[in-house]
Amino acid sequence: MGTQFLSALLYVSAAIFVIGMGCRIYFWVCAPVPLKIVLTPAPKHIPGVIRRLTEEVFGFRALAKADRSLWIPAWLFHFSLVLLFLGHLGGLVIPHLAQTALGLNENQFEGMAQVVGGAVGLLAFVMLFWLLIRRLILPRVRWISTFSDYFAPVLLLLILATGNAMRFMGGLNIAQAQSFIAGWLALHPVAPPSDPVFTAHILLVCVLLIYIPFSKLVHIGGVGALSPTLNQRNNPREHRYVNSWNKANENSPTSS
Amino acid sequence: MKIPQLHPDAAVGTLPHRAKNDLMVSLGLAPELPPDWRAKALRRFDELLHQRRSLALYMDICVRCGACADKCPFFLGTGDPKNMPVARAELLRKVYRRHFTAAGRASGHLAAGEELTDTVLNEWFTYFYQCSECRRCAEFCPFGVDTAEITMAAREIMASIGLAPKYVTEVLKKAHEVGNNIGIPEAAWIDGCQFLEEELKAQTGQDIKVPVNQAGAEVLLVPPSADLFVNTDTMMGYALMFHAAGISWTTSSYASEAGNFGLFLNYEQLKKINLRIVDAARQLGVKRLVMGECGHAWRAAQAFMDTLNGPLDFLEPPCPEHICELAARLLRAGRLKLNRSANDGLVVTYHDPCNLARGGGLMEEPREILRAVVNDFREMPADTIREKTFCCGAGAGLLTEELMATRMNGVKPRLEAFRTSGATHLATPCAICKAQFPVAFKHYAINAQVVGVMDLLGKALVL
Repeated sequence: MGTQFLSALLYVSAAIFVIGMGCRIYFWVCAPVPLKIVLTPAPKHIPGVIRRLTEEVFGFRALAKADRSLWIPAWLFHFSLVLLFLGHLGGLVIPHLAQTALGLNENQFEGMAQVVGGAVGLLAFVMLFWLLIRRLILPRVRWISTFSDYFAPVLLLLILATGNAMRFMGGLNIAQAQSFIAGWLALHPVAPPSDPVFTAHILLVCVLLIYIPFSKLVHIGGVGALSPTLNQRNNPREHRYVNSWNKANENSPTSS
Repeated sequence: MKIPQLHPDAAVGTLPHRAKNDLMVSLGLAPELPPDWRAKALRRFDELLHQRRSLALYMDICVRCGACADKCPFFLGTGDPKNMPVARAELLRKVYRRHFTAAGRASGHLAAGEELTDTVLNEWFTYFYQCSECRRCAEFCPFGVDTAEITMAAREIMASIGLAPKYVTEVLKKAHEVGNNIGIPEAAWIDGCQFLEEELKAQTGQDIKVPVNQAGAEVLLVPPSADLFVNTDTMMGYALMFHAAGISWTTSSYASEAGNFGLFLNYEQLKKINLRIVDAARQLGVKRLVMGECGHAWRAAQAFMDTLNGPLDFLEPPCPEHICELAARLLRAGRLKLNRSANDGLVVTYHDPCNLARGGGLMEEPREILRAVVNDFREMPADTIREKTFCCGAGAGLLTEELMATRMNGVKPRLEAFRTSGATHLATPCAICKAQFPVAFKHYAINAQVVGVMDLLGKALVL
């Protein structure tokens, strides 16, 4: 596939992703929160709220309370996705910076990428595969599943599989991949590595980027922290809370 | 509690009676479905999506992980998959996706979207009235998705097109007309208070007041109206405590109801009913506002009152105060003398009303009081108390005869936990719980009694 096509597709997908997510988040941030609906017990002060959100976003605290057998694979899967993202960033986008920062020579850096990247890639695949199996074998979870609940994990599994294939079967010219990405970021696209697995990997990522803002995958990046049940302070008696579309002193309810 | 097998449509036949036209009109609601109800409903849905971030966010962010599925007492009790919180929310989400998302408009089926049809509306009226807005599901959701917000939105949409339950609207009408949910007129309220004064005199030999409309009293106490005629021991408990602590207090015949069924129908009603309490406090010139033993009343007052009808700066903080907070404060200050052997022979456990635990964080004070006033206090299992409490099965407008199947199924997880405690008395500061449990105890042949927290405090007070 030509230089132009793959790069252009990647630009379009990235733009849809950034603009799509931006619009979604902007709408939610701007949407009014008429009442204090925080789930108690809840902190009264901002540092407590930050702690609560940190625990929820990075530790999946509620899920840990709900179901350990879901929490463990879910957390490991998401954690490994974050590591994979950082690995791609360090290994492909800013390799020299990352290498210097870690104080490794080129061979050591490559070796680390091979071991850690490989392990994490496998972990992500296995955990997500298990989550998909869980969805199929637990009757109540299967009952609530929609097309999107299967499409998203299958898409991600394919991305992980193609990534792992390149990692374990070799064949990918890392230097070529690095220059492809550097060129893409600099808006001077260069030829991608001529590896069909690499092409498939990129194409699938494009689908993912386009899919995220319009699906349940919109939950990425800690968007759950916008939930008023989690991010409000429990202080309705200490600080007057005002409903922006129905201020109390306009003494007529304006709901309909 | 053991997770039940799925029984699709197990609870499909249990739905509320519809309010008749005159009832709807009296609340400013449409009397019956207009020919263009579908368009009207979608318009109201759209408005709500722009008025409530909770709703907008919860329509999109759920990943259907199923963490909430086995947390709902109504699912645990019925096995009906549509009572899983995630599935209940999907009833609204599928219409949202069809009409309000690009993916749904383009490819209805693949995006799991569905038209708003008669069938869907009937599903809404069924399953959004098998949810008690108890928020136990939200406690376990990684995104804090609160099904109560979704249920409230669905009920609000339905009410806007002329579909509301007879029970909830009847109660609202009474609250508007006479000031309380039971429909006790002013003269009867005053009589009831006098009767309790006589009762207190007979029990204690002292003149203990149950005042009405005493302008200038220090405290306005707003009890659930059931406390005056049904849970009279609770009402007498308030009176004994105020008497023992030497605090002047009053009830109001204008705001003789703590409960707020507006919470179970729409924002407009929530606000209007809530205003009565603020007006009464202002008219009586009291210094402080104390709420009685009612679960959802506490949420409506503590979390919403200042926003809806404030500022409440003419009252002293904490405003409002819960009767259990006040009692615990008086106990700590040594202003109440106790003889807890008065409650000997009782094995007491505490049931957290959902709205106290998850809607206000009021969990310690009632326990503090109970430990002080009874010798044998026990907790139910840890995953069924405090913020993980199970609903009594009758909250949010379900406390009506035609929903008995829902109620008796919804109460199962709570009863199972109660049985393991070995208690003889279930203490709870909520009028709806107090109405539901005796029926449930009888239904499941459990030999136990329901009491209020203030009942037990009142009995243990040394005057």
